[in-house]
Amino acid sequence: MADEQDGKGDKPAPPGGAPEATPPQATPSPEASAAPPAPKPPPAAPKPAAPAAPAAPPAAPKANPLTAPVPSIALDRIREKFSNQVVDVVYYAGEVTVKLKQERAEEIWRFLRDDPALRFDYLSNVTAVHWPERPKPFEVVLHLFSVGTRQRITLKLDVGEGEQPPTSSRVWPTANWHEREVFDLFGIRFHGHPDMTRILMTDDWVGHPLRKDYPLEGKPEDHMQLREVTTAEHVYTFDKSTIKGFGWKKEVEKTGEGRG
Amino acid sequence: MFRTEEMDINMGPQHPSTHGVLRLVLGLEGEEIVDVRPIIGYLHRGVEKLSEHRTYSMIEPLTDRLDYVAAISENLGYCGAVEKLMGLQIPPRAQYIRVALAELQRIASHLLWLGTHALDLGAMTVFFYTFRERELILDLFEQFCGARLTYNSMRIGGLLEDVPPGWTDRVRHFLQIFPSRQKEYEDLLTVNRIWLGRTKGVGILTKEDAVALGTSGPTLRASAVDYDVRKALPYSSYEQFDFEVPLGTTGDTYDRYLVRMEEMRQSCRIIRQALDRLPEGEVRAKVPKYIKPPAGEVYHVVESPRGEQGFYIVSKGTEMPYRVRFRAPSFVNLQALPTMCRGRLIADVVAIIGSIDIVLGDVDR
Repeated sequence: MADEQDGKGDKPAPPGGAPEATPPQATPSPEASAAPPAPKPPPAAPKPAAPAAPAAPPAAPKANPLTAPVPSIALDRIREKFSNQVVDVVYYAGEVTVKLKQERAEEIWRFLRDDPALRFDYLSNVTAVHWPERPKPFEVVLHLFSVGTRQRITLKLDVGEGEQPPTSSRVWPTANWHEREVFDLFGIRFHGHPDMTRILMTDDWVGHPLRKDYPLEGKPEDHMQLREVTTAEHVYTFDKSTIKGFGWKKEVEKTGEGRG
Repeated sequence: MFRTEEMDINMGPQHPSTHGVLRLVLGLEGEEIVDVRPIIGYLHRGVEKLSEHRTYSMIEPLTDRLDYVAAISENLGYCGAVEKLMGLQIPPRAQYIRVALAELQRIASHLLWLGTHALDLGAMTVFFYTFRERELILDLFEQFCGARLTYNSMRIGGLLEDVPPGWTDRVRHFLQIFPSRQKEYEDLLTVNRIWLGRTKGVGILTKEDAVALGTSGPTLRASAVDYDVRKALPYSSYEQFDFEVPLGTTGDTYDRYLVRMEEMRQSCRIIRQALDRLPEGEVRAKVPKYIKPPAGEVYHVVESPRGEQGFYIVSKGTEMPYRVRFRAPSFVNLQALPTMCRGRLIADVVAIIGSIDIVLGDVDR
């Protein structure tokens, strides 16, 4: 705890190109656990920051302990071997997020899993984020963990509409269900996946609910399947004009088309 | 004239031993299982979608309903994730109370598991014994926050309220009687020949498979993989507690039973330490009324009774998260079911489902 407060108090401004220069440390801090970020100050930071006076002041008030870079052996190794594949690196709250290009993604994954210094043998989580305003609207996110070395790293891929990113289930079998869920809820098909079917929604579901353009309360046609529920005396019908909430109208008449 | 044929048999979604609405399609050759295909989603409530349309504080009650037999762990993980996103420091007293609550919840959850697992395998007595003690824990929770299952007891930045007067003494009283009660279950099961026959060597998950399939919690540790989030990436000041992580040797159903039994003992140790060293002071950090974390994203994991419970939150700097992902341990552990079941009998499927301790609310979200 004391360590964290130190880190928080006098955090130097992150210098421009520090991450590359940071030498790999013997014991990488895997992640700043539960409590708020305790990123250790980058070793070379305080000294060069002072002389670079003209550039530093605008950055100084912005010096945010949350976004301070943290050393990561994994990132250094990726940069060493696949320098041209790294699109972007983001630090937040002691976590390292690396955005990769799609072409050699599987090769990088295998490297991360098999490299003796890294051994990212445990894939925690695969998910996606939808950013409709971007040219490539999806981000596939992989959270890796190493049981042996206790490091964590987050990898990302940008995926365009209709594009098929490579599956990670050949590297980590656990990705099978995670990727099925991403397909189900976002509509991203993974190339080479053994069983690309829906998992949470029903097989005949139309649309992918976690996309931003999918309304929270479902599309009208989703409600339409429930359109006719015949009870002993009544036929409940669904009226499109009352779509707000579950505005069901009880009427004793049958209406026309609908799903199924 | 005579031939053998593979047959598909449907198990669930209405089946008492699947602990909820889980459907399994069993591919059988005789009574031997060739393949299992779990079919899930019957309890899908779209919690991730709902969360994108709620403020940060409004999501916490939703997390109660994911893993509804261990709601405290979900609360703890979710609040921890948002606190990490905001860079908040939690007062030590709140951290210690959270630890005590989470460990009580672990015992309660394991008791529910033990009772139902034993019931599935025909040992009905244990069920009544474990529910007797689980009731004591639920009473403690009720005294703390007024609810028995969906607690919503934590707040971003700490706790809503301090523990009521006398509560710690009642917890101590529980810790005093619990070890002897736990011995009663063990007398009934640990060396019971029927129990051994039904669980030993059943549903073996090798070390390599367990890691490759991403299992976590007791399911992973029974396969002798030393990964407990509380030790590996300590949160909520778990690094200040002295406890051991029990490991299995073969990864069979019996090992998963032993690991959970030992975990309950370790949880008692942790609670005792938390109460003995409970710091004085505030239980909630200074947080703004409207929680608006800066733009960024975090992936925060906690050790729920079922395993690694992950919370991935993407913030755009608004009052509502842009994307929330709940990494459910039950969902991932269930994926290992076919591997464990192949080559076993139908009756073993019941034992294996029980031993991975799934909660369908957590699987389907």
